[in-house]
Amino acid sequence: MEEMNAQQTASPGADIVRLVREDSAAARLTRLSVLKEQFPEMDVEGIIAESGVPDLKKMRGKRDTYFFSDQSMTEAYAAHLFRIEEKDLLKLIAETVRDESQTYPRPTDARVFLGAPFNVAEHDLADTLERLAASPEYNDIRTCTASNGALYLYSSKYLGEAYAESLAEWMEVGQKENP
Amino acid sequence: MSTYGYTGRILRVDLSSGKIAIDDTLKYKDFIGGEGIAMKIMWDEVPAGTHPFDPQNKLIFGSGPLCGTGVPCSGRTNITSLLPSNPFYGVTSSHMGGYFSVAMKYAGWDMIVIEGKAPSPVWLRIEDDKVKIEDARWMWGKGIFDTQAMVASFMGKDAQVAAIGPAGENMVNLSVIRTGTSHSAGGHGGIMGSKNLKAIGVRGTGAVKIAVDSKEWLELNRFMMSIIGANNQHVVPSSPQPWAEYTDPTSRWTARKGLFWGAANPPVETGECDPHDMQSVGLRTMKATFDLGAGAEKYTVRMGGCAHCPIRCHSQLKVPQLERYGMDPYVSNTCMGWSSPRGVMFKGIKEFDGHGEDSSIVGTAIGTTLADDLGVWCNYGQIGRDLNYCYTNGVFKRVLPAEEYSSIRWDLLEKGDANFFFDFYNRVAYKKGEFSHIADGSYWIAQRWNLGDEYWNNKDMKLWSRLGYPVHHSNEAGGQVGALISCFSNRDAQNHSHMNFIGAKLPVKILKEIAGEIWGSPAALDAPNNYTPMNEYKARFVKWSLVRTMLHNSLTLCNWMWPMATSPLKERNYRGDTSLEAKFYSLATGINISERELDEAAARCFTLMRAITVRQMQSFDLRKDHDQTTEWVIHREKDKSGNELPQFTPGTIAMEKEDMELGRTLVYREFGWDEKTGAPTRACLEKYGMPDVAEELGRRGLLPT
Ligand code: SF4
Repeated sequence: MEEMNAQQTASPGADIVRLVREDSAAARLTRLSVLKEQFPEMDVEGIIAESGVPDLKKMRGKRDTYFFSDQSMTEAYAAHLFRIEEKDLLKLIAETVRDESQTYPRPTDARVFLGAPFNVAEHDLADTLERLAASPEYNDIRTCTASNGALYLYSSKYLGEAYAESLAEWMEVGQKENP
Repeated sequence: MSTYGYTGRILRVDLSSGKIAIDDTLKYKDFIGGEGIAMKIMWDEVPAGTHPFDPQNKLIFGSGPLCGTGVPCSGRTNITSLLPSNPFYGVTSSHMGGYFSVAMKYAGWDMIVIEGKAPSPVWLRIEDDKVKIEDARWMWGKGIFDTQAMVASFMGKDAQVAAIGPAGENMVNLSVIRTGTSHSAGGHGGIMGSKNLKAIGVRGTGAVKIAVDSKEWLELNRFMMSIIGANNQHVVPSSPQPWAEYTDPTSRWTARKGLFWGAANPPVETGECDPHDMQSVGLRTMKATFDLGAGAEKYTVRMGGCAHCPIRCHSQLKVPQLERYGMDPYVSNTCMGWSSPRGVMFKGIKEFDGHGEDSSIVGTAIGTTLADDLGVWCNYGQIGRDLNYCYTNGVFKRVLPAEEYSSIRWDLLEKGDANFFFDFYNRVAYKKGEFSHIADGSYWIAQRWNLGDEYWNNKDMKLWSRLGYPVHHSNEAGGQVGALISCFSNRDAQNHSHMNFIGAKLPVKILKEIAGEIWGSPAALDAPNNYTPMNEYKARFVKWSLVRTMLHNSLTLCNWMWPMATSPLKERNYRGDTSLEAKFYSLATGINISERELDEAAARCFTLMRAITVRQMQSFDLRKDHDQTTEWVIHREKDKSGNELPQFTPGTIAMEKEDMELGRTLVYREFGWDEKTGAPTRACLEKYGMPDVAEELGRRGLLPT
């Protein structure tokens, strides 16, 4: 994530900055391609870079470049949206799982991807999990099942099998039995 | 001496003589309030060897100096007495939320001490200074809901009522005292029953005076509101939110766009709930779906709770199907209140009576209504596991007369038909047959039905101690920290001071940093299910948790929220403020006290509870006679493939025997108790300003040598 140069805010950048901030407040990333359509005569990226507003952040993906304001959206949430926008479900799931296995650390409840902001359809999730299991690039992504049948994912780079299993059991069953 | 914070008065009611007296609270102020003062009264006035149901036993309803002041989450009532389900009738406290203690304060009473036994059923009517013992013969036999309505019909609907149901009247060991629609104090219902006391109604028209000017008070309140989280002080949301850096699907901060109080008119969306938005604090904890599953959304009218609580952790539902069973469709509860009936239906609630996919919610609502009306306690979920064990292992077949066994509706239990609840709770509350002893408590059924080691040491039974109580945030909560915390009570530990911190849902790295700041080293906290051997910092964490919970029960604050060790604020690096209790106490009472001094006062109260336990057990070797766990706690676990997981490897919560003994020693040291036996020493009791306690224990030969 790159931070914009901190310089004075001025027109014509002001409109663009306002737009990005509005999008972020509405929990959306702003796509460079969309900005270019709205401001066809302008070097949008250059203007943002020179606008000098420290809250604007940029993420460069394969499909597009995205902006958000960290006044109303955390980098963590923006990272989710970025992965969603990039429409690479394998990567979305694998990177989210790796993040959680490393950060908290904990395995990831597969049902998380069915809810907002991911909103992956159930059949897409099942299909993606199958493809994940067969993909060498993501061979650290493993699954385990709690005793109530709930499926969890974890990265073996950060969690061992027995550990991931015990955490999944705790999250899924243990906590509910010990309210 | 000023009475700011305190009302300064204790109401004493002797039901044997009918005498009503007033005592001075401030002579007890070294014991803070609530549970602390109650321990002092129990020590001074209830002789060793008293049975819980003897008239000499006392039943003490306590509020504290912060109750009724408007401090967030300060509406809890502490109830202290002897516990009939404990083998030596240990002194314990149970707790209710609601508005009862606040009404006590507004009526001018810090505590209500009930002693003696009325010759026939009575209820106690308190309207400010006017206190009357009223005839309750007509109320006797009624459920708690009807009783509350009857008292309200005399006193008005703004009266707060604490009452027992048939279980309490019949002196069932596992019975509750309940106030409001869903606030139950477990374990002491039978004490009220033994005293022929059906209910207490309180109406207060006064106020609680605080020492400080309102500006300073409001500022501190505002600060508190800025660092408060969701229920259990969970400080991250359960699903990704634009404002949140972290999430955890197990968090009680369940609000999100698209999740509604679906039965409100119009439905209320819980929404994003940015932590900087004070107006949405009460929407953060959507507990109905958390406790009951997604299907509860459409039944949720709103979230309710205790006086002066912005969090509201009690789900209030409208379940119209209940009318079919002659029940009020409005039903409310939280946590164990919902899950314990589900534990009784241990084969699951399946489709019944044509309720289809709503069967589980309708069935649970039937169970919770019956338990709450009849006043049955679950011993923190243990009653369901005991039922499961005795049914599955053929104990009932062995110990029940054949006719009784065959009269029980096991067919409903097997089918997952929630009509089983009618059979179960009625037998228990009315003490019908041998089966009803299931509600004597685990220790007593183990004796009576000769359940043996297999029962005690069975991991699935979750029995923590041979004193008959189960896990309650034990070794699964911080390894030795939760394990040791669970060793010092006379019932389930009911301690959330450690759990609110461990379970705040922040990454372990951040929690370890905060642990280092509070207890001296990040080594005070391990990652969940990845424990390291015992150390002195964990012992400090244990002492702090025991002391803070005693403090909250004395002030009286909700330990399901307090202490505020963390916050949801990134700009504070997720730090909370552990000095808030002392700051509020100082402002409310005008007695300036530091965080350390207030913790020491609570440590005094906890040590006094320990001294009462020594006197009751007639043993000062508490390490051996009191503080031990059942065997499963220290047995190696296996992973899914059947491989043994040695203690202190990732994936096991098993504790290690010698390490636990070291843990006990280190905790005893932190309190200044005898390191060999865990009993308070003369020097320690004198240091805490209790030479009289040292004197009596010495006279009885109960001081460690
Ligand atoms: S968090 Fe729940 S139990 Fe605690 S004071 Fe609030 S409503 Fe009552």
